[in-house]
This record gives sequence, structure tokens and C-alpha cells, in this order.
Amino acid sequence: MNYFIFIVKAAIEDFKKNKTQTFLTSLGILIGVFSVVILTALGLGLKKYIDDQFAQLGKNSLFIAPGKLISGGSFNAASTFQSIKFDNRDLTKIRKIKGVIEIAPIFSKQVVAKSFKKTEDTTIIFSSEAFFSINGFNIKNGRFFNKSDIDKKSKVVVIGPKIAEKLFGQADLALDQKITASNVNFKIIGVLESKGGGGFGGPDYDNYIFSPYTSGYIFNPQKNFSRIALKFDDINFSVGEIKELIKKEMLKRYDEDSFSIIEPGDILQAVNSIFSVLNMVLVAIASISLLVGGIGIMNIMFVTVTEKTKEIGIRRAIGARKNDILYQFIIESTILSVLGGAMGLGLAFLTTLILQKFFPAYIDVNSVLLALGVSSAIGIFFGVFPAKKASDLSPIEAIRYE
Amino acid sequence: MIKFKNVNKIYKIDKEVVFQALKNINFEIKKGEFVSIIGPSGSGKSTLMHLIGLLDTPTKGEILIEGKNIKNLNDNELSSLRNEFVGFVFQQFNLIAKLTVLENILLPTIYSRKKLDFDPRKKALELIKKFGLSGKENSYPNKISGGQQQRVAIMRALIMQPKLILADEPTGNLDSKTGIEIMNLLKKLNKEEKITIIVVTHEADIASYGKRLIKIKDGEIVDN
Repeated sequence: MNYFIFIVKAAIEDFKKNKTQTFLTSLGILIGVFSVVILTALGLGLKKYIDDQFAQLGKNSLFIAPGKLISGGSFNAASTFQSIKFDNRDLTKIRKIKGVIEIAPIFSKQVVAKSFKKTEDTTIIFSSEAFFSINGFNIKNGRFFNKSDIDKKSKVVVIGPKIAEKLFGQADLALDQKITASNVNFKIIGVLESKGGGGFGGPDYDNYIFSPYTSGYIFNPQKNFSRIALKFDDINFSVGEIKELIKKEMLKRYDEDSFSIIEPGDILQAVNSIFSVLNMVLVAIASISLLVGGIGIMNIMFVTVTEKTKEIGIRRAIGARKNDILYQFIIESTILSVLGGAMGLGLAFLTTLILQKFFPAYIDVNSVLLALGVSSAIGIFFGVFPAKKASDLSPIEAIRYE
Repeated sequence: MIKFKNVNKIYKIDKEVVFQALKNINFEIKKGEFVSIIGPSGSGKSTLMHLIGLLDTPTKGEILIEGKNIKNLNDNELSSLRNEFVGFVFQQFNLIAKLTVLENILLPTIYSRKKLDFDPRKKALELIKKFGLSGKENSYPNKISGGQQQRVAIMRALIMQPKLILADEPTGNLDSKTGIEIMNLLKKLNKEEKITIIVVTHEADIASYGKRLIKIKDGEIVDN
């Protein structure tokens, strides 16, 4: 134990004497560890964000979408162009399938919404009352629209909190107000609780307006739906069985390539596979700076060995073995590297704290361990060659060195 | 204790030029002796000292340390002998600048592989007191005088309780008054603690402290 305290103490004394050199040598590792940890934090944050978004959908929901949106675990962007549209006939048939509990046809329209004080561009999603439960919405003020609103084609809307605030100054003031969307008047019967989200390609529901699909037919005379969402009985049916039943029904009317039945998990998997590949590439690029940092340490350690030739000679004269000298220099390069790693990690923590205000980044235990593990491994690996040179010096030549 | 038998040391300067630093050196040093090795610069006395101190090995001939031929020892065994058997005192003191007085004295003990029958720290503090450096334990070498540095070097040489102290021009960097003090210190160690002392020097008055004189010139012993 004493042995290591002595060696570590001597190394730290050296670093204190050459603070600038020590810092610059560690800088390479600092930058490397910082970029690897930050990129991992961003990747993890993004994955967590996506997971959370899909977790709200629940395990017992499915979507029917036109085209082959997902094939073999990844997105198939081309398919969305040659799309079909669903209609009331599909709705009726799917509703009759055993195990389907709730069903929500969906279409949307970009509109200019006007309140008595302001005008905003937004999107109205036209659907059924089931849409809210399938997507896990909660109401803050007022109520959701219901089945009788749909039957009566009521001109009512439920409004997201952000757009409500934009239109009325304060979300709480929106209830029972009138808005005009593309010259049609609607009454606001409910304001939603914030759901967060938006900004990563996902829908920013807080900025949307929701209305009964029957009321939306004014804008959609063909009565087409772009998607159908549904909830099924997951106690008596498995996802596979339900998908099979729906597929059988749909195949009576459409060919196999023109529609998809999607589980939220499918999308999640596809999105995650894209992001994890992207993140791996970024982390690999960042790792190059770790390598460069390691070479920087090796370079400085070679210089240090020359500078300390006399000291090596003295230590050998009083009984240090080759291995004692070897360990001394490996410990020194490891301290340099871990110092850089720790500073990089600290900086990454601070940066993550700031980033979290804008972006869901977070550092997990694994990236901390990885950063420290990799930096000490670099210190040892790149320290071995200079240390070997030091320990192989002949005692007599070392002690004569001036 | 130390026996040189027909020891030769030849340095290769380049492919064809060789330099014979030592020629057929034969001598024996017994336990408890105080030997001065004297010779002008270039006489080979430094080479001789490095061989006695196990920092180098002969080109030809045999060196026996307590009956053991050093030719048969590997690097680790030689390191252990340097650690336990010899204590070095150099002209340049050769203290490690970033370690304190106490740490410099303790340094040989951390490289020791045998179980020490004394408490290193306690012993070092005793030595510091005995050598009149109390209060300087935590000073760094550049904060104390040359004479004090050489005392620290002697303490470092003594901490492992060696059988031999090997001093290479121990007074070379000191004023004459301090030099005399250091030489008297070595004399005292030889007399009171029965430690074998070998002093290598080119100064006759320093050599005169020894009870035995080995004169060396051009790589050969001219007087023993």
C-alpha cells in the first residue's frame, strides 16, 4: 500500500510542477470522454423520449394505415405515396370483429383558427370519442366530445393547451369560447391536459384541435379516413389473433401491400433501430478523439521518461526493480488519462444539466463506468511503451545521465 | 565480503575501437574495513565503483559478494542486493527533488521485498534526529544546505541497514569544513556500527580517512 502511495504522490508532485503540460496532455482524453458521454446521453435521452411517447399508447392498441409503412423492422417511406383511403364501410366491418372494443377513424386538416382576439395556423384532427382513450388523453377543463356529439354532427371541439393559450392568452379562458376554422364555427367544450412532446417528428398534440369526425365531413365530402386506430380486448385475445382477424377482413377489399396493421411497438422498434445506428456512428467518430488523446499521452510520457532518466537511475541504484519503474510510469500515464476522463465526465454532467432544458438528455451509470474504464485503459495501453523504455534503461547509463 | 578475481571491463566505443577501463583487477575487501580507492580522473575508479555497487557487470572475470558470484544473479536479484547490501552516497547527493527529506530516506524501504524487522518511519525519524536534521523532515531537498543533503543521502543509504556503504566523491560538492564533517560521520559509522565503508576519491586528504588505500591508475591497481 505504502508503495502505491509513494508512486502516486511522486506523480502528483510532478503534475503540480507542470500544471499546464498536465492539463494539455489530459485535454485530448477530456474532449474524447466528453464527446462520447454527451453523444451517449443524447442517444439515451432520445430513446427514452420515444419510449415514453409510445408507452402512452398502451399495449392493447393497433393502427391501420395505408401502404406498407413498416416492413422488416424499418420504415418504408416510399409506400406512403401510393396510399389508399379508408371509409365508413371499413369502419363498420372492423367494429364487428370480435375482440375490437373501441375504434377511432382519423383524418386531419390544416386550418387557420380564429378566436375573438387572435388567428393561428393549426391542425384539426377529426376522430371519434375513442381517440382520447386510445391515445391516453386527459381533460383539464370541460369534457371530451361523446357519441351523441358524433351522431348529431355537433360543431364542437376539444382543444390542446398550447393552441388554447395562443388563441386566448390563457388556456383556462378557452372553455365555452367560439373559434372559427376555415369559416366554420365551433364551440370549445374541453381543454386538454398537456401531453408534452412534439419537436422530434412526433405529433405535437398540445398544439392540435380535436373534433367529431362526422362534423369534419364538411371538409371531407368523400368521407375518407387516413388512419384507423383501435383498442382490443387483450385479456381474451392476443395481438397476433386480432391482427389476423383484421387482416382477413381487410383482404376482402384491399390487396396485401396497400395497408398495414401496426402495433405501437413496431414503430418504436423501427425508430429505435434508426437512432441506435445513428448514435453508434456518432459515438464511433467521437472515439477517434479518445485514440488521438491516448497517442498524445504516449508522446508526453516518452518525453517524461527522457526527462527523468537520472531519477530512474537513482531509483534503480537504491534497489528499484525493472517492474517498479514500469509500474511507476504506467501509474503516471493512467493518472493523466483518468484525470482527463474525470474532467470530461464532469464537463459532460454540466452540459447535460444545461441540455436537459431543451432536450431529453441523460447520463446513465453505464456511460460513467465506460468513460472511466476506457480512459484508464487508454492510460495503461499508451503508457506501456514509454514505461517499458524507462524500465529497460541500464541503471549505470541512467545514473550517469545529466 | 567482496572479492574481485581478474576483473576486466571493456567498453566498445564503436565497431573497431574498444576501451579497456579495467585490467585484471584482483582484490578482496573484508567486513568492517574502511577502504579508500584513489586515482586520477579517467583511471577507472568510477567503473570500479559501479562494479562494486552492482550497477554494472564485468566483461571478464568474477565478482563475489559474500561468496555469491554476481554473474549468476538476474536483474531482480541484483536489484535486491543493491537494496539490502549496499548503500550509495553520491557526489551529487542524488536526492529525488519532489520527495521530502523523510520520503527520500524511506525510498529504499518501499522497494524492499523482504519483511523488514524495523518500523521504517520510526527508524527514519531516529536517523534524522541522530544526524541533526530534526525539523527538516518535511522539507524538500532544495530547501536545505549541501551538507544537509549529503546527510540525507547517508541516511537513505543507512535505512536498509546495509553491510556496505559505497561513497563516490562524497565531499566533491561540499566546502572543506562540511566535507570534513561528512568524512568524520563515515568514520564514526565504520567505527561504531561496524559498517564496511568504501570511499572513491581523487583527493589524497579524503583518502587518508581510510584505513586501507587502493591506488588505481590506467585501469590497473598500482598500490594496495
